[in-house]
Formats: sequence, C-alpha cells, structure tokens
Amino acid sequence: MQRKRDHTATGISIQAGLMVVIVAAATLAATSFIQGYYSAEGIKREASGRAISELEGARSDIMDIVNQAEAAVRNCIWIAQWCLERTDSLYRVPERVVMDNPVVVGSTLAVVPGHRQDKPVLVAPYAVRNLVSGKIQILSLATEEYDYPSQEWYLMGLEDGDGYWSEPYFDVGGGEQYMTTFSMPVTDVDGQTAAVLTADISLDWLTALINEIKLYPNATSTLLSRDGNILVMSGDPPGENEKYQTYTVPVERTGWTLSLAIPEEDLFASVRRVGYIVRLLQLLGLAMLILILRVVTKNLKNLQKVREQKDRMQSELRIGRDIQMSMVPKTFPPFPDRKDLDFAASIVPAKDVGGDLYDYYIRDEKLFFCIGDVSGKGVPAALVMTVTRTLFRAISSHESSPARIVSLMNDSLAETNENEMFVTFFLGEMDLVSGRLVYCNAGHNPPLILTNAICELPVKPNLPLGVMSGFPYEEQELDFKYDDALFLYTDGLTEAENASAEQFGAKRMDAVLHRRRNSIEHLKAMQAAVDSFVGDAPQSDDLTMLFIHYLGKGNAGKGERHLVLENNIRQITLLADFIEDIGQEKNLEKSQINSINLALEEAVTNVILYAYPKETPGKVYIDSLLREDALEFVISDSGIPFDPTAAPKADITLSVEERPIGGLGIYLVRQIMDEVHYVREDGMNKLSMIKKL
Amino acid sequence: MNITIEKEDGLVTARLEGRLDTPASLEVAPQMESLHEDAGGTVVLDCGKLEYISSSGLRLFLSLRKAAVNKGGTVIIRGISNEIRQVFIMTGFLNLFQIDD
Repeated sequence: MQRKRDHTATGISIQAGLMVVIVAAATLAATSFIQGYYSAEGIKREASGRAISELEGARSDIMDIVNQAEAAVRNCIWIAQWCLERTDSLYRVPERVVMDNPVVVGSTLAVVPGHRQDKPVLVAPYAVRNLVSGKIQILSLATEEYDYPSQEWYLMGLEDGDGYWSEPYFDVGGGEQYMTTFSMPVTDVDGQTAAVLTADISLDWLTALINEIKLYPNATSTLLSRDGNILVMSGDPPGENEKYQTYTVPVERTGWTLSLAIPEEDLFASVRRVGYIVRLLQLLGLAMLILILRVVTKNLKNLQKVREQKDRMQSELRIGRDIQMSMVPKTFPPFPDRKDLDFAASIVPAKDVGGDLYDYYIRDEKLFFCIGDVSGKGVPAALVMTVTRTLFRAISSHESSPARIVSLMNDSLAETNENEMFVTFFLGEMDLVSGRLVYCNAGHNPPLILTNAICELPVKPNLPLGVMSGFPYEEQELDFKYDDALFLYTDGLTEAENASAEQFGAKRMDAVLHRRRNSIEHLKAMQAAVDSFVGDAPQSDDLTMLFIHYLGKGNAGKGERHLVLENNIRQITLLADFIEDIGQEKNLEKSQINSINLALEEAVTNVILYAYPKETPGKVYIDSLLREDALEFVISDSGIPFDPTAAPKADITLSVEERPIGGLGIYLVRQIMDEVHYVREDGMNKLSMIKKL
Repeated sequence: MNITIEKEDGLVTARLEGRLDTPASLEVAPQMESLHEDAGGTVVLDCGKLEYISSSGLRLFLSLRKAAVNKGGTVIIRGISNEIRQVFIMTGFLNLFQIDD
C-alpha cells in the first residue's frame, strides 16, 4: 500500500513535469516565431526605405549631371541658330558647349544634310575635350564611314523637340569611354529643322556612383538603359537560386532605371543570428527546467518519505503520551466518601511528550501526594517521569518519612542518571485525622497555602532529584486547620505564555485562588484563566496542578470547632447547626443553646451584612473553643475595620415612639455573653466572646 | 418560618411558627408589613409556636408596634415561650407590647 502510493505520487509528479516542459517549449516556440516574423517585416520595411532613399540619392546625382548637360545644349541653341547663318563659324558652337560645361566631354552640331546648298552635304563639327590635356579639339563627324545622319542620336534628336538621350555607347572615335549623348534639334529662322546640337557625357562617374550604393555586402546595384541594357552594375550579378528583395527607381529624361537587389540572406542575416542565439538560449532554458523538475520530483519523493516517517513518529509519541497520562490517577473526586478531604488534580500535557507528574493515594489515614517536573522535554523526560512516579509508589508504600522517601528516590535516580536529567519534586504526607502535613521539597516551586490569606508554603529548596546522590533532604511540618488548602503547581502554570510572550505569572494565579471554591472548581477556574490568557499561542510546557482542601477537624485540640461562612445571609442556618452541635456536645439546655445562637447570629449577621462591600464575596470565620466551664468564640473577617463594641449601648427604657428600629444586635451579644472583646489583627476584625457555663 | 394571618370581626391574628432568624425575617418582612394596614385595630401576634427570635425579628415587631401607635391600634403578643420572654426582657420589649399568656 505504502509503495503503491509512492509510485502514483511519482507518476503524477513526472506527468506534471512533462506538461510543464511541453507548455514551456510551445510558449517559447510561439513567441520566437511571432518575434521572428515581425522583426523580418520590420527589417524589410526598413531595408526598403533605406534602399529607395539610397537610390533616390543616386538618381538625384545623375539628374544633376543630366540637367547640366541638357542646359549646356539648350543654352547654346540660340548660338547655333545664329551661327547657322554664318557657315564659317559653326565649329564654335560645339566648342562653346564643351568649354562652358565641364561635365560635357564632347559636342557636335550636326547640320541636316542639304540644309545649306553652298556647303558640303555633311557638316558636323565635333568638339572634344582631351582627357589628358583638357584642351578642346575640333574634329568633324562628317565622314563617309561614320555617316552621322544615320546615327540614333541624330535621328532621334531631330524628332524630339524636347531633346533626346541616346542609349549609352562605347565611344571609339573620341573619348574611348562609355558615353551618352543628349541631342536637340536646332531650327533656322524659318522654323525649319536645320541641325542637331549634342552634348556627350562620360558614364565613368556613373560607375563610381553606382558602386557607392552598397547597403549590404552582397547587394547588387544596377543602372539599366531604356532598352534594358545594363549600363553599370556593382557587385556580382544575382545568382539564380538566391532570393532577392529588389527596389527600383526610374531616372527621368534618360529613361534609365536604377535598381538595387538585396539578397535576403544579407537582409535577414542579423535576424537570423539573433534567432539562433534565442533558440540556443531557449534550449538551454528548457534543459535547465527539465533538470530542476527532476531534482524537485526527487525531493518531493524524499519529502513524502520524511513526512510519513514524521507521522509515524508522532503517532508513536501520541501513544506514548497517552500511556504516560494513563499512569497518573484521574478519577475525581478521588475519595468521594471522605468528608475530611476535598481533593483535585489535573495535568494538561503540552503537544510533545512532557515530563510533569503527580500522584496521590491514601494509606493509613494519610494522604500521600507528590508533584514533579522533569527537566527537558520529549521521550527522555517522559521516561524519567515514568521512573520517578514508579519510585514514588514503590518507596512510599513502605516508608513514611517524606525526607526518607525523597532521599531514596534521589539516590535511585542519581545512580542511573546518565543524561544529566533532574526532577523538581514535592512530596507531602497529610495526616487526615490531625491535619498535620509533613513534607519534603526537592527543588520544586513552593506550593501555596490558602488560609485566611494566600501565602507560599515555607520550603527548604534542597536539590532537585537526580542531581547528587546522598543529598541530605530535610522535611518540614505544618498543621492544617479545617478549611485550609494547599495548591501545588508546576511552572507550566506561571510560565504559560500568550502570543506576545507574556507569562501568566503569580499575580494572575493569586487572583484566581483568592475566591474560595471547591477543589475541582478551583482547578477548572485556573485552567480557564490560563486558557483565556494564552489564547491561540501553543502550549509550550505541561501544566499540572493539585488542590488539597482539608476539611477535617484538625489537630488543634478536642475542644476546637471551626466554621467558615460566606457573606451570604442564608448561611446563618449553618451557624445554627454548628451551635446546635456544640450545645449537644456540652449537654446544654435548649434555651441556653438558643441564647448562645442568638448572640452569635447577631455578631455574624453584622459581619455578613456590613463587613464587605456590596456584591463582594467574603468570609466569616467562626472558631470556638469548648472549655469545661465556658465556651469561647472568635468571629473574624477580613472586611473593613469595624469595632461593634464601640457602638452606643441601646437604651431599652425608651417608649415605643422613641425606640430606634435597629441597634439591638450588639446589645443582645453583650447581654448574653459574659465577655466581649474586639481587636483588629493581621488585617482582620476579630470579635471574641466568652460564655460561662 | 411560617406566618398565617386570620381576620375576624376587626381582629387580626397572625400565627408565627418556627425560627424567626435573620434570613427568615427577611423572608416574612412583606407579610409582617402587610399587617400595618390593620394596625388601627387590634393585631394579635400568636407566638405559641415561635421557637426563636433574633434582633431582625424584633425589628419587625417594633415597626408594627410603631404603626399601631400612629393609628391608635393595639398589638397583642400571645403565648411566648420563656426563652423568648427572656429576650423580650433583655431588650425591654416586654414593656413595649401587651403580652398575653
């Protein structure tokens, strides 16, 4: 079953891990695809912009030259017209064109054959700039071989009134370079086309210009002629299998086209590089993720194992604690038949197995009881606690002296104490007949005695059990009277902490003890006070309490009788029973008993009604001593100081009208009793009365 | 403590039975105070079965007596035991009430 659960859990964690990896990979792929797509688009847009602007720059440079050449021709048209009238100076026209315009390398004025009857049929003076010397030579194109009237520049120049740019050509006659010619018709005064004026420009600078368009290393820039001939090409011609992004710009007038072809390879090189890096990083990330998942899965498995182990241990600890708790007697009231003892004990263990203990039993009319706290917590403390409790039972069963019992327990614990653990311990032995308590303290916090007041039981500290073998423990004694009580506790009470690390403390403990209740109610009230103080804070230590309320007649002599009343007027009936008992014991007559009862009732009523502030609980103590010849009574209370004997004596001779309603109580006491005295002593009002018999 | 009150021909008789101690006095005070209404006539407190009285019981008697004085009536105490008579003597009550044996 255990193993099966193991596998299932592992399977689930592996599945979950796989899902995480798949989702992460898909997300990464999608984002990198989208990112790649949009950045390619962006790059295309950007490249197109740059290419066009680059091409337009080139075009504008070309247009500059073109316009200069065109202007050179246009500006000289009128000179040509004028010169055509004077045949001898025709050569000056092309000369002028070349001379005035550095961009123009050659110029001709080709006269329409037959236009001038007086001259040879072909007339075409040609001015050309010598590329080396810069001087201008005048040649003639009017040769049989050349036959200029059949040339494209001549024919098209004649036709196009606006001027015509020829297809570029390699000039063999003059410039020995690639040239293009702009030709415009020249009309005579009659409006007849008389000649064609041309300007030749070199295309060498175009090569340089086109070569400058170099946006990408493998881009090819091309200048195409009107007929689609490649005029200039920079870079290698595009291969067949390569993909290109091509941008073109037309060059006006000339009919040329500037084109730029950028291989996509070049264009997307950076994107692709970034893409490779991103993919590499993604793969690395996924690998890391898988690695982490593997580690986490393994840890989960370990964690589960640890938790199961912990669960098992805790359940064992719980069983241990249950066993431990079952060792202390827990039936309350433990001695329901005893009228002389009201006893209660409680132990609230902390979460862990703790080391508090208590025990009690009655042997030979003696109550043996103990409380203890083992140092430390956990299993070792619990074991020591068990041993201590066993020793208490074993040794106290045949020993009667508390000091002796404690000494023997100490020796036994000290001998086997390898863990340096010790036990603070208090052992008491109360003679329920006499009320005498013999006790021995071994380093435990002093118990509290509750009589008229609350105070610590005087204890010799001694050493805790288990510290030093052979330590001479001493015992002490105290006589308990009727209604006296002893409250024992472990430091789990006073040191109970709330969430703000405050301790419950002795003050809060005293406040609960101040109000007298029966023993079980006392412990319940104390536990409730601790619980409400501590709130949700976890209990850090065991909390153990014992409450021993002595209700025996006590050792104080055969003639002593005691009664304690609450300050509640209904309790007066208890007083009547108390006096009745005394009267019968002394064989008094009914009338005498009633008379004594009257005096006591008056005195006690006075205390009940007036000694304590309204609604404040208080006590009235009636102690009586039955002497041979007299009865002595002392009525005491811890209320506000008041001397009833100081009240003015009632005047019983007054008339009905004059008699006050009250004031008879103390008068009756004085009348009935033989002696009445008041003292204020130890914070108490004490009214003592003697009735002689 | 128990009080039974009988009214007959203008004569009111209250029979007191048991112990009239402080708690009992507090208990029967309303009944005793109801007798004040009849204090103009004759009120008989039959104490034949009264076992005990404390000062708070005496106060109830005295305040009835005072009401009788105001209204011109009479309070007669009948059948008190010697013990209670002693208390009446001690407190001077014997002189304040008309005591019938």
